[in-house]
Formats: sequence, structure tokens, C-alpha cells
Amino acid sequence: MKKIYLILIALIGIMISCSEEFTDVDPIGSLSDTQLANPTGIDLLLTGAYSVLDAGRNGGIGNGWGRSADNWVADVASDDAHKGSTDGDQPDLYELELFNWQTGNGYFMARWEVLYAGVNRANAVINLIANSEDPSAFVVENAQARFLRGHYNFELKKLFGSVPNITEENAKNLDYNVANAGETLLTWADIEADFSHAMGNLPSVRTAAYSQAGRPLSSTAQAFLGKAQLFQSKWGEASANLEAVISTGIYGLHPSIVDNFRSETENGQEAMFAIQYSADDGQGFQGNATGALNYPAAFGWCCGFYQPTQDLVDAYQTENGLPMVDTFQASSALNHDYNIDSDAAFTVPSANVDPRLDFTVGRRGVDYNGYGLHAGKSWIRANFSDISGPYLPKKNIFQASDANNFMQGGWGQNLSGINYHIMRYADVLLMAAEAAVESGNLERGRTLVNQVRNRAKTMSWIADTNADIELYNAAWSSATDARKAVRFERRLELAMEGHRYFDLVRWGNMSSHMAAYIANESETITTFGKGQSFQDKHTYYPIPLSAIDLSGGKLVQNPGH
Amino acid sequence: MKNNFKTSILSLFTFLLSVGMYAQTVNGTVASEDGPLPGATVQVKGTDNGTSTDFDGNYSIEASSGDVLIVSFVGFATVEVTVGNQDQINVTLEMDSELEEIIVTGYRSQARGSITGSVATVEVADAIKVPVTNAAEILQGRVAGVTVVNNGQPGGAPIVRIRGYGTPNNNDPLFVIDGVQTTDAFVLNSINPNDIKDISVLKDGAAAIYGARASNGVILISTKTGKGTKGTKLSVDLSYGIQSAANLPTLLTAQQHGDMLWQSYANDGTPPSHIQYGSGSTPVVPNTIQGNTKGKTLNVNPNGTDWFDAIFDPAPVSNINVSLSNGSEDGNVYFSINHLKRDGIIIESGFERFGIRLNSDFNVTDNLRIGQTLNVSTEKERSHGSYTQEAMRMSPLIPLTATDGTYGGIYVTSNNLGNATSPFATHNRAADDYGKSTRIIGSVYAEIDITDNLSARTSINGSTRTFMNRVFDDYTPEGETNSGGALHEQVFNQYEWNWSTTVNWNKTIGDHAVDALLGYEAVKNYGKGHQMTRNQFLFDTTSFVLLSTGTGTPNVDYAYENWNTLVGSFVNASYSYKRKYLFTGSVRTDKTSRFSKDQQDDLFPSASLGWVIDKESFFNSSLINSLKLRVSYGEIGNQSLPAANPDVNISALSEGSAFYSFTGERGNVTTGAALTSVGNPNLTWETAVSRNIGLDFSMMDSKLAGSIDLFKNSTTDLIVRDNSVISTTAIDAGAPFVNKGEVENTGVDLQLNYGSETSSGLKYNFDFNVSSYKNEVVSLVNDTPAFGSNYREGAMTRTAVGYPISHFYGKPHDGLDSNGRLNFTDSNGDGIVNDSDRTIIGNPHPDFTFGFNTNLAYGNWDMSVFFNGSQGNDVYNWAKIFSEFPTFVHGGRTDAVLNSWTPQNTNTGQPALSMGVKNGETAPNSFFVEDGSFIRLKSLQLGYNFSSADLSSRGLGSVDSMRVYVSATNLFTITDYTGMDPEIAASDALTLGVDGGTYPAARIVSIGLNLNF
Repeated sequence: MKKIYLILIALIGIMISCSEEFTDVDPIGSLSDTQLANPTGIDLLLTGAYSVLDAGRNGGIGNGWGRSADNWVADVASDDAHKGSTDGDQPDLYELELFNWQTGNGYFMARWEVLYAGVNRANAVINLIANSEDPSAFVVENAQARFLRGHYNFELKKLFGSVPNITEENAKNLDYNVANAGETLLTWADIEADFSHAMGNLPSVRTAAYSQAGRPLSSTAQAFLGKAQLFQSKWGEASANLEAVISTGIYGLHPSIVDNFRSETENGQEAMFAIQYSADDGQGFQGNATGALNYPAAFGWCCGFYQPTQDLVDAYQTENGLPMVDTFQASSALNHDYNIDSDAAFTVPSANVDPRLDFTVGRRGVDYNGYGLHAGKSWIRANFSDISGPYLPKKNIFQASDANNFMQGGWGQNLSGINYHIMRYADVLLMAAEAAVESGNLERGRTLVNQVRNRAKTMSWIADTNADIELYNAAWSSATDARKAVRFERRLELAMEGHRYFDLVRWGNMSSHMAAYIANESETITTFGKGQSFQDKHTYYPIPLSAIDLSGGKLVQNPGH
Repeated sequence: MKNNFKTSILSLFTFLLSVGMYAQTVNGTVASEDGPLPGATVQVKGTDNGTSTDFDGNYSIEASSGDVLIVSFVGFATVEVTVGNQDQINVTLEMDSELEEIIVTGYRSQARGSITGSVATVEVADAIKVPVTNAAEILQGRVAGVTVVNNGQPGGAPIVRIRGYGTPNNNDPLFVIDGVQTTDAFVLNSINPNDIKDISVLKDGAAAIYGARASNGVILISTKTGKGTKGTKLSVDLSYGIQSAANLPTLLTAQQHGDMLWQSYANDGTPPSHIQYGSGSTPVVPNTIQGNTKGKTLNVNPNGTDWFDAIFDPAPVSNINVSLSNGSEDGNVYFSINHLKRDGIIIESGFERFGIRLNSDFNVTDNLRIGQTLNVSTEKERSHGSYTQEAMRMSPLIPLTATDGTYGGIYVTSNNLGNATSPFATHNRAADDYGKSTRIIGSVYAEIDITDNLSARTSINGSTRTFMNRVFDDYTPEGETNSGGALHEQVFNQYEWNWSTTVNWNKTIGDHAVDALLGYEAVKNYGKGHQMTRNQFLFDTTSFVLLSTGTGTPNVDYAYENWNTLVGSFVNASYSYKRKYLFTGSVRTDKTSRFSKDQQDDLFPSASLGWVIDKESFFNSSLINSLKLRVSYGEIGNQSLPAANPDVNISALSEGSAFYSFTGERGNVTTGAALTSVGNPNLTWETAVSRNIGLDFSMMDSKLAGSIDLFKNSTTDLIVRDNSVISTTAIDAGAPFVNKGEVENTGVDLQLNYGSETSSGLKYNFDFNVSSYKNEVVSLVNDTPAFGSNYREGAMTRTAVGYPISHFYGKPHDGLDSNGRLNFTDSNGDGIVNDSDRTIIGNPHPDFTFGFNTNLAYGNWDMSVFFNGSQGNDVYNWAKIFSEFPTFVHGGRTDAVLNSWTPQNTNTGQPALSMGVKNGETAPNSFFVEDGSFIRLKSLQLGYNFSSADLSSRGLGSVDSMRVYVSATNLFTITDYTGMDPEIAASDALTLGVDGGTYPAARIVSIGLNLNF
């Protein structure tokens, strides 16, 4: 019996002596900081920093659709697009479109968070390189991280106005919660500094070692620098940088605008910097998930959001091949099939249009990206009683012939591989044109605008389009006309690409502009007029209420909200 | 001895009666006034010579003249008889009213009278008289301070909470099942309730003996051993019942639905125009679905489809339980098999369990006992979630099937039929989906008496579970989208084991009694699993779909492997003086792998005092029979947190959030990584300080007994994510866990029992318990509120300082305005009604919960009535955003909207109908907050016990006893709640009381038979 007792004590002794190792448990299958401190780790984190371009982040609060990587939500707040679907579907977005902005709206929070995720994933790369044995070995990686941070900060600045600047120092010290005022306010200078650094350190041409179209070149960074200056009305500097990009000769316009949205050509000569979406035959993690709602309610697709406005359609009317810059809202020649059922007779309006209309807006009776003639109401999820009208988006929708960009996810959502062009060359040309015009060089502006118009004129048009487009063959008579023409051209060329809202804010006078839009839209889509009005506070999204709550009051709300 | 051992083995496997092997000198029968007592112990005083009575109460023992026989049996007063020269001694034992219940309290048992902590026990035998599928149901409503919310879904894990919510993290108690320690509430699905002998609940500092994992309380479950049964006992329990749904909301008929839309158009000032209902002055229910139905013909039922009727069907539940037990002086054995099949009241769902238990112990020598418990069970769960919300959202126009037999659906969203996918189709398609689990729970132990006062015990206790499931998202051609065709398969394995060794010393010297325990324990928890998904199957038949037969790229959705370990040493000592003054103290030190090196150790002390007042000389009451005061204090840890390695920074490779396709080419993806969680090397346990003061009493000739406990539990060093470090402007990693914040629960548990018998022989017993706690968050990180899970319009639960964990937070409203819209109030008084007016709009914590149980017995009849309920808790009826608001305007509604505001019907709280959500009314606001109080007739049963004489006369002489019964479970519920079921199983501690469409508890009517041979 004594023996058993002794064995027992011995066992206890063994158990105690094992305990040091026994309670030492390391994580499995995850990367520690030490494991990342090498070139592979830098590449992994840099890829992670690019990865947030598509707004796929870890965790997160707010409404997932609000992450809107391609800024489609901003188009909904502009005069280009309606939210789509029925009014009750996504009430946050309904509030957003009608300028009934509550600061707790989940769309604001979702976008805010994902952009800061991007800023700080870039910061993580910058810090990892700075702490490496030889930072000079990672100049290009560092420049890419700076470029990405510049981009994410640019988006924050455009959307939210007064936001905190989270530097790599903040990130290193886990000092993320800082005020959106004073020394920690994000300034245009901060954004320019990142783009300038990237411009100075990125490769200027593609090489075997730097071949992937998703990575920016030196000239890409310069174009973004020019765009940042344009947003500050620094016309001279903007013009110089944008013209320099043009003069590299690297870029050009595709034969057709639609080439920007097809898989074979989306990374062609017109591509400057894009979210590189790709479809696959698996789960579609690299597809456009935040745009998954934006497909017609036809073909078993989902979910009928993001419908172009009547006002946008009106803008494509032409007179002698030129846009009706001052009078398009007065004409109703393009009034369409709102309130007309699919089985009721309908004739496509015969008014002359800019051929880009039918590459931008799906209209009843006109071919829809190769899927046949748009059938009208039966393809529209929204009812006549909803605010969204009869049109469908096109640029974000795959062409029927482009199987490589097509995929559907688990619940039937489309996860398309169509790249979203954060900037394409036509945009560079039009920004350069604007900078030229604002700098008084109207002729240079006209030349650049005509380059863009010429492509629209010479491309193959959609059948049934009553296309009528000419170049600005005569010099503009005044700076005012020139400005109007350049600005109008931006809308025609870049509509439904997530730029419109920011352009309108930049150009000012937005409340009167939006009032005119709301009036025009309500004439046709009678249910749209809800008494909404754009006020000064809508120049920027509010700082999300949750962000203020969770900052313990360090963040202060934008004026007016 | 060796001989005896062999005999025991033999008896174990043959289940034959083990016959005593001693020479006979004294024979006799031990009986009670009701008849022979099998299994009573007869021992020669001062020796190891002892035996127990057989099946007929007979014993035989070698004894000499002058020896004293000690005859004892649980529940009876022990009798000592001196042996003379007779060889026949018959003993009649008397019921011992003073005799104390033995309670398992963690690593040992204690007599009820010596307990100084707040330890509750359950009358298991009472509770399992009705069919019980999950062991947690035994606790529901029967133990003050323990709340159980059953998951209506067969196979779902119940939620068990002891004295409220102490932490924003895991509030699951520690379950100790025959020494196996786990916080996995699913373990209760694997246990056959009929195998359970005792359940005790450590509610206060008494739990400190379990140290770092016990701050949510401990539930100790012991299973039957066969001890005390002389001879082989066979017991058979059979029950069969029919379950049905109760309290389903009423959905609109087709015409009502059309009228509802017409009213909506009218309120909006829009001329009605509807693909299905036309555009006339009144809606016309079509004969067939209009619009694009992809070539199908869908005939409309003139009254519309009742989608609840379509997915709810009465379902059978059956239970077979057979057990064999045998106890002898050589050891005990208990063996059972159990088969439970419980179909769900929602079509194509259900739960099935097959389990085998074998518990045995052997008296190897006089002072060495070896034993084991083993439970092997396999469970199959069939569920595809609960699509009750979809049932409310479906248009009544859609038929279950098209004329060609395929499922009915909306086909395209422009058909004005809403966007819900038919739950009838979803559940039917899921018929072949399953989750299968095999779990082995077992323990082995050896126990040795070293001296009369010193014993040691070592045991290895473990549980392992293997789980696999199959979920096929079928193609849904009739749905909103052409979705589906994806197969998900999940596999995981988990095990937990502990090795515990204790040394126990007890001694009574005069008035002083000491009972001390020294122990050492090592614990390991392990889990490994993954899920894979593959899509694009050429055929969607179950016989074809395998991970290998898809044509899409297979995807590993996740994979993990992790474990954590803990070693603890502990000492527990009780001292009593004259059984009047009682003291128990314990100290446990734990070392855990969960935190970084410097934070791995901590000490968890507890102490409690008892004063048995009725033993004082001054105490002289004819009314009060017993009175005991208890006071306890304990510090207990909690190391549960939702991260495997919270002390270090972790980055992860993630296809969804860190990979990137630099070329944009189909399928060309570059691997990337991102920080996913920030570590905190200083993290350590949450510590709950538990204080309890209690009074046990019995009075009126012990007919009325009860106890009342007041408690105050403060959990400090709450483990919470510090979002001031990872704010919204930070990298998208999880914020580091820090020890900041405090939660306090104060409350009272009251348990009363009154039992007696009338002169006519009616025995009655009333048991009443009520518990109340008040939960308050005392501090949080930077005192910044935390929010619960996000729903469609964000989170509606918030946790903030000065309020309970998880209260409803949103805009308050005050009736309707002159347009029938919710009139939101300017709660902050700034003159503007906006999001800044959000405030606390409801509290999901009840004022109190209660249970009331009546047992009656008269002659051969017995009856019990059991109510339980909850008072004063609010429920956020979120499902109403679909069933009463136009979130998807053309979808179905409940009849609540019939009372909507119209210019003619202004005396209502139901907002005006409209074609779109107006006024932000589906965002979190007080309209959705309802009183969730309820009283439920949990069970009602009537049983008839056949007497042995009766059985003999019917030729069933071999049957010892037989009982037949009918019972009803969840017969009715009194509540003002308008949803399906006011019992809401919360998804996490920060999201309490949100009803997003539940799987309602079933009403069960059953018949049953218990047979004992």
C-alpha cells in the first residue's frame, strides 16, 4: 500500500515539473511580428495593403455595402444615380440619397473604417521597412506603400473633409485615436507628400521585375499628385504634373470606351490605376463584393441597385453633335419608360444623343451589354412608386461576351472581375483640360477635351443609338463657356464611375445645382421629389457617429451635422 | 480478495447477481415499513467485514456473538444491533428525517448540513419524470439563481446562466460531469438525462475551488453508479410524444395583403399599380402569378399561402431508455442505452441521439477502489437554421409549388412579390444536410484509504468530440437570384482532459471535526478543425454531391488548431465545532497558458462561515425547526476570451481580406497578410469577487423549508478589447484585450418548499423559487460604450457605464404623429430629432425569474404541475422590420398591420402603411421594444403507479414497479409578447434579447411508461 502512495507522490512531482513547458503554448498557423521581419513579410504586408483597395477588411462595423470601394454610393448622392431597388431596401442608402443624413448611418462608418484600414496597412509596411536591416533594399516597396497611403487619405479627405492624419509614427505607437483638428488634422500637404515621394521612387516603366498592371508607376503617382492639386485649385501645379504624365507617352485612349470594362483590355493603355478585381470559379474573394447589389433584377442577378438618373440621360442629348450644356434639363426629348409596364407598347425616343449614353445607361429597347434589348420594367426591381426610375447601370456590368469577368457567389450575388478605374487616362486628359482652362489656356483645354470626344465619335456605337457627336471645332468664346464645356465633358465621359459627387463639391454652388437636378428629375420620376435639398453640410459626409463615440470625444463632428 | 475481484468482473459482464461468498453465521432481512430494503449495508462494527442486502433485503454475514452489526441505508437512521447467539436478525429501519443529503461540491462530497456556501441541488428524479431531451432542461425553473433559455431548435445548445451576466465575454458556467470539466454547453446534448443522479450548482465563492475558470459558476453533474441496488435492476423508460408549434403570429391572407398594399399606396398619395393585384380601385387577387416566372405556372391560392403552416408540422419525439444496474460489496455497475429521436416542428429538422453509458467501480481491496465512467454518444442534427423570418416575409400569393411540381417563388424581383426565398423550399432542400457529432466522455479513478482518516484519489477525466457537417446550398431557380450550388463541409475535433489528484484527511475529535483536501490538477483543451467549400456541381442530387464532384475551385474557408493548458493546486479545509459553527476555506493557485509568462499565475481564495442557530441553547422555537446562517466570500477567475493567443500580435493570411489580384486576371491571386489582432502581454484573468449571505430554514414540523441568499458579485479586470488603442481610425485588427472595467451583479435567490400529507393520504409538495439580479456596468475602457451585434440597420444593444450589460439603445418614440408616423422624441432637448436622441429604450434583463412546481400523489396516482416564467424583461422584436414595415414592401406581413394608422383609424400605435420605410422607422427605436414577461405552463403530468400486488395479479410478478403517464410540455404561455416566443436565445452577452425570428419552443404532448424489474 505504501508503494501506491509513493507512486502517487511521484506522479504529482512529475506533473509539477512538467508544468513550465505544459503551459507554454504558441499560436499555430498565424504570423508573429518576428516571422514577418524579412523581405517575404514585407511583400505579404504590402499585398495586404493593396488588398484593402477592394474594401475587404477584417471585421468592421457599419453597413457592408457602404464600404463602396468603387464609390458607387457617392454617385447615388450625386445627380448621376439613384439608389435603386425598392425604397425600403437599405434605408440607410435611401436616407443618403435624399440628404436626410443621420450621423449614425452605417454607410458612413463602413467607408470610414475601411479607408483607415488601408492607411494603416500602408503604415505597417512603412514601419516594417524602416525597422529592417537595410531599408534601402525596399525603396520601391516603400514607395508603393506611400502611394497607397496617399490614395486612402485622398479618399478620406474627399469624403469626410476634416479627418485625422494617422502617420507611421502613430501606427508604431498604437496612437491611433487622435483629433481631427490641429496638428493631427490631415492636410493636402500630407497627401501631396506621399504622392511626391512615390513619384520620385517608383519605377517609371514596366520591367520584368515590376510588370503587374495593378502597381503604380512614377507617372501614376504624378497623376494623382496632379489630381490632389486640382482639388485645391492649384491649377498651375496640377497642369504641370498632368501634362507631364501625358507627355510620357505611356498612356492613350482605347478605341472604345467599353474597352475599359472588358477583361482583355481593362489593363491596357488607358489604365492608370485600378482596383484589380478578378473573378474565379471558386469563391470570388477578389471580385467586386461591395458592388454586388448593383445588377439588374433580371437573369437571376441581384439586386437592382445603382440606377442612373433621368437627369444623367438628359445630359447626353446633343444639338449639332454638341452637348446641351445650358438647356439639357429643359428638354424632355429623352423621357423614357417610367410608369410604362413591359407589356405595354413603348418606342425608343429618337432624339440625338452622345453615343456614350448607351455605354453608360441601360435604356429600354436598346441592347444591354449583349444580353438583348433592355426589357423595361420587368428588369427593374424598383416600382413606379419608388424613387429610382427605369434605367440600369452598364459600366459595372459585364459584357455578355466577357465570361472572364463573370461570376456569381454563394447567394447569387455577382462578384464581377471588372476593374474599377480609380483613374483612367481619359480622366487625366480631362483634368489636364480643366487645369488648362482654369489657367487661362482655353485652346489647350479644347484640344484635350476633343481628344476624349474624338474617341467617342470614332468608336463603334451601340446599335439603335441615334448618335450625333462632334468635336468642339470652334474655339470657346469665354472662360465661362470653356469651364462649362470641360465640366460637362467630365460628366459625359466619367458618369457612373464614382467621380461625380466629388467634382460637384469641388466646383461649388452645389445647392443650386442639386436643386435644379431634383426639380428636373421629379418632372419625370414623379415620386422622386420628397422635398429633399442639398445643404452646405452635405459637402462632406459627417464624421460617423460611432467613430466619435468610440474616440471618447477626440473626434469632432463636421459643421452642420 | 482476488476471488472476489474475479467475481465482480464476472458479475459486471453477465449482469448476474453477485452472491456473497462469506460463510454464513448470521442471516436476516433488512426492511423499512414499506417492505424489504435491497442494498442496505450491514457491517460488523470496528472491522472491515461488511455486506449489503440483496434483492429481497436478505443478508448474511460472518459475525461472532458480542459483535455489533451496523445496519445502514441512505435515507434511514442507522441501527446498531448486538449479536447474541441467534443466527437470524431482522432489522426494520426508520426513515431519518434528520438524515442529510450528500452533495457533490467539487472534488468531494459534503453533507448538506455542513455546507456554508450557496450550493443548490435539483430533484433530478422529479425533473426527468417528463421527457427531457437536454440535461439543461432539468435546471430550467427549478433552481433559484440559474436561468436556462432553451434553444427551440432540436440539437441547439441551451444557454445556462448563473446569477446574471458577469462579463461581456463568455458567461457559460463550468460544467463538471463526473470530473470532466468543460465550458462547452453542447456537452449537455450528449448526456442522457436518465443517467443523471445528482446535479449541484456552485453559485458563490464555493466555486473558487475551480479557480481560474469558475467565475460564471459551476454545474456539477454526477451520473448513476449502481450503488445501493442489490442485485441486477433493469429499468425501462419509454415515451412518445407529439410536438407542435404554438403562438405563431397570424399572417395576412392574399386579399388582406392586397388591401394592405392599396392602403400603402393611398397613404403615399400614389396611384396603385401592382403587377399581381392590378391597378384598380381595389386589389384583385390573381388566379396565377403574373410577370416573368421563367415559363412556370403558379396558381394562387385564393386565400393565399400560410407560410407558417407550410413550414411547421407536428413532429414526433420518442425516447427509449434501458438501464441495468448492480451494486454489491465488490463494486457497482450501471449500464444504459438510450435512443432519442426528436423531429423538429419545422419541417426537415430534427435531432437524434444514440448513447451508451457504462459506469463501474470495484472494491479491489478493502481500501482501494477503482472505477470508471464512460459515455459514448452519437448525435445527428438536421437543421438549416430557422427560416421563420422568411415565412413572415413571403408574399401570400406565392404557392408552395408551381403546376409542374417545382417550388414556388418570386422568380424575378420585379414581380412585386418581395424578395424572400421560399422557406418551404429551403427547408425541403436541406433535408439531406446534417451535423453529426460523436462524443466520448469518460473518467477513470483510483481511490485509496491510506489510514482511517487519510485517503487519496487520482482521476483522469476527459471528453472528446468529433463533428462533421454537410450543408449544400442548393440551386434556387425560383429565387431572387440564381444562387446556390455550393457545398460546405466542416470537420472539427476537440478534446479536453484533466488529471486531478487529491488527498483527503478528515478527523473528528470530540466536538471538533476537520475535513481537508489537498489537490493538484492539470488541464488541457484542444481544438482543430476546418471548413471547405466547393461549388459548381453538374447535378444537385444528394447522391452526387461530394467535395470531389464539384467543378469550381475548392476553397478552405478556415482552418485552425489551438490548445490551452492549465495547472492548478488547491487546498480546501472545513472545520466544524459541535456541528454548530462551520468554517470552510479554500485556496487555489492556477497557472495558465492563456496569458504571457509573467501573467500566468494567480491565486483564488475563498472562505465561508456557517452558524447553525437551531443548535444553540438559546434557540427554542416550536415554529422553526432548523435555522442556519451562511456567509461566504470568494475570488474566482475567468479566462474565457475569444482569442487563442491574446498576448502577442498576430497577422494572418486571408484570401478575403489580404490577398490581391495584381493583374486582374481570372484566378490569378497573390498571397498577402494583414495584422488581425494586437497582443497585450499584460493581460490576465478577470476576477469575480463573490459575496453571499444566506439563510436556510425549516419550520412547521419541517413541512416548510427554504433558503434565501443575497449576493453581490463584482467582476473586475474585465477582459475587453481596448478600442481606444485600436480606434476606428486604426488598422483593421482586433483591438488588444485589456483588463479594464467592472460589472456588478447584486441579487437574491429564494427557494421555498412546502410538503405534507393530508389525513386522507393526499401527499402534496409545493416548490417555489424566485431569483432576481440587478446587473450594472461599473466601468469600461475609457468608459466608452460597447455595442452588440449589427443587424440590418446597425446595433440596437449597447453596454455602457451605469447600465446593465446590453440594454436596448435607439430613438425613443411617443405614439404617432398626425400623419401616422412614429413620433420620435427629442430626448436630449436640443430642438432637433436625430441620432443624438438615441437613449436607453429597454432592458432585456428580467426583474425576476421564477419557477413553481406542485407535486401531488394520492394512492396510485401522481400529478405534477410546473410553471416557470420571467417578469420585467424587454425583447427587441427586430423581425417586425419585415413583418410590419415595408423593408421589402411586397413581402408578407402579420395581422398586426390591420390596425395601422389611417386617417380614419387614429387611435392606434401601429404606424401608417407606406410603400417605403418612412422616417427611418426601422432603425433602432422603441417601437420594436416589447414586454417579454411570460408565465409558461412548462409541464403538466399525470401518472399512475401500479402496485406490485396489482402487477402480480396481472401476471407481471417479475415487474417491481410500473408507472404510466401522460404529460404536456409548454402547454400554454401567458405573455403580451407578439413574437413567436418570448424566450430569446442571445447570440452573445452584448446582444441580449433581440428577436430576429426564432425557432419557437414546441408544445409537446406525450405518453410514457417506466418499468422496473
